[in-house]
Amino acid sequence: MPKTVMIVDDSASLRQVVSIALKGAGYDVLEASDGQDALAKLTGQKVHLVISDVNMPNMDGITFVKNLKQLPEYKFTPVIMLTTESQEGKKAEGQAAGAKAWVVKPFQPAQMLAAVGKLILP
Amino acid sequence: MDQPLQTYIEESRALLEDMEAILLHLESAPDDRESLNALFRAAHTIKGSAGLFGLDPIVSFTHVAENVLDRLRDGQLAVSAGLVELLLQCRDHVSGLIDTVAEAGAALSDEQQQAGERLLLALHAVLGEPGTAATAPAAPPVPKEHAGAVETSGGGRVESDAWHLSLRFGRDVLRNGMDPASFIRYLATLGEIVSLTTLAEALPEAAAMDPEGCYLGFEIRLRSEADKQAVENVFEFVHDDCDIHILPPRSLVEDYFKLIEALPEDNHLMGEILVASGALTTRELELALACQNLKAAAEPPDEAGPCAPGKPVGQILVERGDTYPEIVDRALKKQQQGREHKAQEARFVRVHADKLDGLIDLVGELVIAGAANALLAGRSGNAALTEASSAVTRLVEEIRDSALRLRMVPIGETFNRFQRVVRDVGRELGKDIALEISGADTELDKTVVEKIADPLMHLVRNAMDHGIESAEVRAAQGKPARGTLRLNAYHDSGGVVIEVSDDGGGLKKDRILQKAWERGLIAPNQNLSDSEIHQLIFEAGFSTADAVTNLSGRGVGMDVVKKNIVALRGTVDLDSGEGRGTTARIRLPLTLAIIDGFLVGVGSASYVVPLDTVMECLELSAGERAALARRNYINLRGEVLPLIRLRDSFELGGEAPKRENIVVVSHAGQRTGLVVDALLGEFQAVIKPLGRMFRHLKGIGGSTILGSGEVALILDVAALVKQATAREMAATDAAQTAMH
Amino acid sequence: MDIDTQQHDGLCQATLAGEFTIYAAADAKARLTALLDACAEVELDLSAVSEIDTAGFQLLLLIKREAQRLGKTVRFVAHSRTTLELIDLYNMAAQLGDPLVIPAP
Repeated sequence: MPKTVMIVDDSASLRQVVSIALKGAGYDVLEASDGQDALAKLTGQKVHLVISDVNMPNMDGITFVKNLKQLPEYKFTPVIMLTTESQEGKKAEGQAAGAKAWVVKPFQPAQMLAAVGKLILP
Repeated sequence: MDQPLQTYIEESRALLEDMEAILLHLESAPDDRESLNALFRAAHTIKGSAGLFGLDPIVSFTHVAENVLDRLRDGQLAVSAGLVELLLQCRDHVSGLIDTVAEAGAALSDEQQQAGERLLLALHAVLGEPGTAATAPAAPPVPKEHAGAVETSGGGRVESDAWHLSLRFGRDVLRNGMDPASFIRYLATLGEIVSLTTLAEALPEAAAMDPEGCYLGFEIRLRSEADKQAVENVFEFVHDDCDIHILPPRSLVEDYFKLIEALPEDNHLMGEILVASGALTTRELELALACQNLKAAAEPPDEAGPCAPGKPVGQILVERGDTYPEIVDRALKKQQQGREHKAQEARFVRVHADKLDGLIDLVGELVIAGAANALLAGRSGNAALTEASSAVTRLVEEIRDSALRLRMVPIGETFNRFQRVVRDVGRELGKDIALEISGADTELDKTVVEKIADPLMHLVRNAMDHGIESAEVRAAQGKPARGTLRLNAYHDSGGVVIEVSDDGGGLKKDRILQKAWERGLIAPNQNLSDSEIHQLIFEAGFSTADAVTNLSGRGVGMDVVKKNIVALRGTVDLDSGEGRGTTARIRLPLTLAIIDGFLVGVGSASYVVPLDTVMECLELSAGERAALARRNYINLRGEVLPLIRLRDSFELGGEAPKRENIVVVSHAGQRTGLVVDALLGEFQAVIKPLGRMFRHLKGIGGSTILGSGEVALILDVAALVKQATAREMAATDAAQTAMH
Repeated sequence: MDIDTQQHDGLCQATLAGEFTIYAAADAKARLTALLDACAEVELDLSAVSEIDTAGFQLLLLIKREAQRLGKTVRFVAHSRTTLELIDLYNMAAQLGDPLVIPAP
């Protein structure tokens, strides 16, 4: 059974590229456009890793991760935060919330694959 | 073009539109935190996704702009008119960059290139940085090779040609979703794991063991061509939580000694593990332990000896214990708002417009087929079949409505684009003009929305250029110095009305008339109503540069505006009062595809009257029929109702039947009766445009196919009403002239 | 995760089934230590372990050590492929393997 990764970002194109890269590497991928969307889509699913942007409408990434970590079925699920070099503070905030991994935007698909690969195998 | 890139372009264009709207909004509300956040987010998204596609010019430019936006939202920079202007230009530049992506192979013009560099300099100036035109990083460099530089001074080296990694995972890593097994598996992709020893010394007795804690450590030897950075990076996510020591191949013996010291386990045990794994030879271990003993004896190390303090190689100093900055909880209220907004947004599905068009075409065919079905069912006299058929018809009707609604979009988006136009043109003209928008929620067919933007642009520019006076003139007339332009939309009897109004000088009738006489558009002394005079400026011959300079009214390209609107089966008229301003009122059909019609028969021909124009139907009484020989109107409840006999208008010939009927139609407040033979009932007409040959036909708007397969013409009620009204007025004038 | 236990003459045969991961770790630890308390000899069938992570691995190690400390016996048998993979990665076959059976590919 391939592992499932969820990508949460308000940019549809980013989601598509990440999704294509991950699927190519053998992962199953779910997409969500922001924190709320993600929380809604996570219920009833088994997701092994979550990739989340910080800046998103409706529910930002930090709030999302905090909420995610409250869910019994996701409290130990690894989260990769998409940060920016201009947002060092956000990285710390994300880590405090429970997102211990990060990828700095902008990134190449290979960088995302490497980050995901350190945390779960397909 | 591949799909994600296409998505990126669409998404970026939408974000750029948002940015424009926000920037304009910020001019009046500079402290709106939410807007500043949204602005940053938009730039951030454009940049972030651009990096994925390797669109370096967009990344590097947006990066600098994003920095400025970041400081804006942090409050380090304040919103000023100048800054908004700069950011608007930056937005435009990014938009240009996106265009070059959209048209594969296109490049920026020299002008754009220079503008980009100029903008970057300006942005750097805002940031207080030394400005170079392209300092921002493009797509992040994949970590560079750091040659595993090993200090050559002091101490002997181990013979091992493998990396040595000592990993002691922190208690919380499992809870954080970080599994050591995953990192080790990933490490194995960098080379070959020569040996691995799992250390579980830290695992306590059952009673004290936290099942979610991590107690493991590993000593790993890795043979790999990877550079130090790459090996270190494997563990970047757990650096803060773990003790990690990485020794490159052929490290100093002393470094191993330091390692043994640093590790929590017993030194001799560690020594054995290192020897067993092949990291150290027994001799090297003895050397290391000897050094340790020397140190314990507090003897100064022999400067030249193997214990000399060589520089530590490849040791990762773990700084830990830092508590994370407290997280500031966002206001609950904001979340609530977001949730509500989300609830609406989540229901959207993006569909390619072509698919919708295809669906609507099919529905059109379905409507025709349904009509044929109903017709045959009716003829069969089978009651059950008729009933079933009418159920189908009703459903088809609903499907048609739903399908058409799918393509309905609010006009607001189009209106909002004018914020920028009004602002920029106003600045250009040196006029202070405010734009007021209302009815932005009014929906109309997407195809109509797309085509109305150009005519609207013309009307708006004209209103600003020629309608609204300069501040001095306005002041002299006691008007507020700031001019106002209004865009308004609303639904009206089955169509949509879009108004462009200004509070300017209004149209000057006498000058229009004079111009029209000069141009030979009207005869001298011709008697014209106000609205007819206003319509003159839509005449082709009227629109010349001459007219612009001589008239303080309008004129440029108005004939083009009208032509475009008529092509949409719409009309445009002007309402103007000297000194009060002018309103251009565009009436458009909701959709171009299907109309609800009322089917009438004249002789053997059938006509469709758009249902939304039909007021009532009545029978033409015998008395009135007789009177019609002399005049073209009847008295309908005390009002004059001009009549048009379709039989005569369309020169159908043939005898009128004994009973004739009148369909009372209305357009723009004017009523007219259409005299027909038979009333055949309501009918959904799928509009087929008339061929080029029939375009000039007055009073016909299109054709449709009946269920029986016959063609019926769709009446252009606007033209017919106008025709009847004009004839009536001419007759009245003639009568008045005769009386004098 | 499920633990199914049968007892014959002081031998407890238990089957671990499902995901033996951190999500189940607290529960699994309690049940496995209880099992060890009740039996002098435990045989744990791992053939139905569909997923195992380091938390699960640590519990195997823990139960093995507890048994040694208490002078009891714990055997792991019929390791599922995924369990074997992890034990191999950690180079712990000697400790946790017991009669390591390599399933036919």
